[in-house]
Amino acid sequence: MVKLFKKDLMLFFNDPKSFVLTFLLPVILITLFAFAYGAIGDPAKRSESITVLVVNHDSTDISENFLSDIDMVSGISVVDATNDTARELITKGNYASALLLGSGFRDSLYRGTDIPLEILYDKEKELETENIRSVIVRTLISYSGKIKSGEHFVQDKPVPGHDEINNISSRAGNFSFDSFSPEMTSIVGEKSNSDLDLIQAIAGTAILMLLFSMASVGTSILDEKENGTINRLLYSPINSQTILYSKMLFAFFIAVIQLSVMFLFSWIFLGLDITVNIEALVIMIIATAFSISSMGIFLASIAKSRQQAQSLSTLIILVMSAVGGSMIPLYFMPQIMSKVAMISINYWGIQGFYDIFWRGLPLSGVFPKIMILLGIGLLMTVLSIRLINRNILKLI
Amino acid sequence: MRYLFYMPFTSMIELQSISKSYGNILSLRDISFKIHDGEVFGLLGPNGAGKSTTVNIINTLLKPDSGNIYIDGINVLNSPDQCKMMMGIVPQEIALYDNLTALENLMFWGGLYNVPKHELRANATGILELVGLSGRKHDRIKTFSGGMKRRINIACSILHKPRILVMDEPTSGVDPQNRNHIFDVIENLNKEGMTIIYTTHYMEEAERLCDTIAIIDMGRIQAHGTMEELKAISGARDIITLRLSEMNEELVKSIKDELSFTVLDSSSNSLKLECDRLSDEISTLVNHVEKSGSVIKSINTQGANLESVFLKLTGKMLRD
Repeated sequence: MVKLFKKDLMLFFNDPKSFVLTFLLPVILITLFAFAYGAIGDPAKRSESITVLVVNHDSTDISENFLSDIDMVSGISVVDATNDTARELITKGNYASALLLGSGFRDSLYRGTDIPLEILYDKEKELETENIRSVIVRTLISYSGKIKSGEHFVQDKPVPGHDEINNISSRAGNFSFDSFSPEMTSIVGEKSNSDLDLIQAIAGTAILMLLFSMASVGTSILDEKENGTINRLLYSPINSQTILYSKMLFAFFIAVIQLSVMFLFSWIFLGLDITVNIEALVIMIIATAFSISSMGIFLASIAKSRQQAQSLSTLIILVMSAVGGSMIPLYFMPQIMSKVAMISINYWGIQGFYDIFWRGLPLSGVFPKIMILLGIGLLMTVLSIRLINRNILKLI
Repeated sequence: MRYLFYMPFTSMIELQSISKSYGNILSLRDISFKIHDGEVFGLLGPNGAGKSTTVNIINTLLKPDSGNIYIDGINVLNSPDQCKMMMGIVPQEIALYDNLTALENLMFWGGLYNVPKHELRANATGILELVGLSGRKHDRIKTFSGGMKRRINIACSILHKPRILVMDEPTSGVDPQNRNHIFDVIENLNKEGMTIIYTTHYMEEAERLCDTIAIIDMGRIQAHGTMEELKAISGARDIITLRLSEMNEELVKSIKDELSFTVLDSSSNSLKLECDRLSDEISTLVNHVEKSGSVIKSINTQGANLESVFLKLTGKMLRD
């Protein structure tokens, strides 16, 4: 029994694939998920600075000082914008939220009446928005203390008299800042007929599964190399480029079909309204299929055997999907993950489908993501052609 | 290399001073030979001898470092596609798609040679009959035995009716019954005029099938000719071993002096002799021994074969 046990140990440690799948992959995934959940590192440093757009209709010293106080909060910076610009930038997904200070902000503080504060936000960036809302409320509470102490009355305009200060402070003190919450208005997806979580589930899963199927198509080249059919193809009057391009075409075709089937299924059975922008959806499917099918072929091109390709593909796909938002939505992750996610195809694919189904952007709005996906696909294709010609379509 | 006199056939394939190296390893060293139209040509050699490199140069997949190769007068290096159309290649591996049926495989592989579909279908039907698998044409390859797969492997290479068939160890791992079936197929194809290049490890296959044989070792053609010619080149001879009632020095000396035998061994009561053509000499030998008063208790003969030829030429067994 001990001999058999030893034999299995030897086989295990002599097999890099087993080693990678048993130890390396779980360690990488644990690290990534811990990072994604925000469990790694100094809590104060977990997320990078959040930028909030501000639209100040009040334009008083009080509102300016209030915004300065927000800007001074660690991890928050404010950028002035107009109402329209703020809405456009949030809708395009460039910013999570905008703080609107109504024209009576200063006066309402003095009177202790409802404060005209509104946060426009993108539900897809709810976590980030919640951080902003929290900072705004905390700043307002702190600000109320300053108002009570009269600290802010020395900033501009004629300084009120002592009685007036007491009067205002008294009224301000009557306002319950502790229970105050700005009005929250989701401005993205209001026209969408689909739920954000449904879009995430469909887009994330579709891309994850497509990566696996394309990796499988890619490794079929290595299958053909190993069983001799590639050589047999080379014996015929077709050349190696034809073999490679036909494999790429097949991968692309299957990818388009697979994505189309998934979206059609989601339309019929899950209620995803794919008719919202059919033109953009078709082009997005093509771009995603191109980049992921190229990725599948690329993964095969860097491996020396089918086994190696499978291990490598599993590792890369799981890491990309964990980072890129296929497994856990990015809106549940720290903001920095949105930056890290950009290294993955998943991110650009999912964001592109968000643009169509959630943000309701026209084709021009989705275009940057489409171009990035096509660029990734092109790069992978060029690398694959070079590597496959060198590694696989070589007789000896 | 020893060149031999050839029958005045038309040369179908001609290799002229082909050399090929991989890095510092010289795989082929200035090899030249001709294969005539309608000939079954055997290329015999141990692993690493240069067989595959030679075959892959003939089938245009590898370019030689130097030398020329002609197929039916066409320079392969200048017109590889034209030459590919004239050839069918049976790879050593069973290079088929397991999840396709026999007929689907045939239609696919044949289709690569631009054979019109109706013609291809007719060819496929005929070839399936030739390889004895017409009853299984709609079965998936993964349900076939190894030998049946080998037969389909051959069938896929002849759908475009090539003039030359290159077979790289086509009977590897095949049982005797299927092997005989494959031999029948090869012989039928050859009867129809197909030139066949056959590489093998099996001496008996080369002896049975090949009109001419080239023995290749360490990248060089050691000899090339018919079986008889190779025997002559190598000096490989027939061997007879006699077990006698008694042995004496006079008998051994008289055999050496008076008969055309070479004494290889004469220990205890056993006498091992060698001659060119045992069938012509054996009665003389038996009479000579009986006249000496010795009684022959047993006779064991071993004719010169490809194995002994190979041994003589290379100094090693084929499977070394």
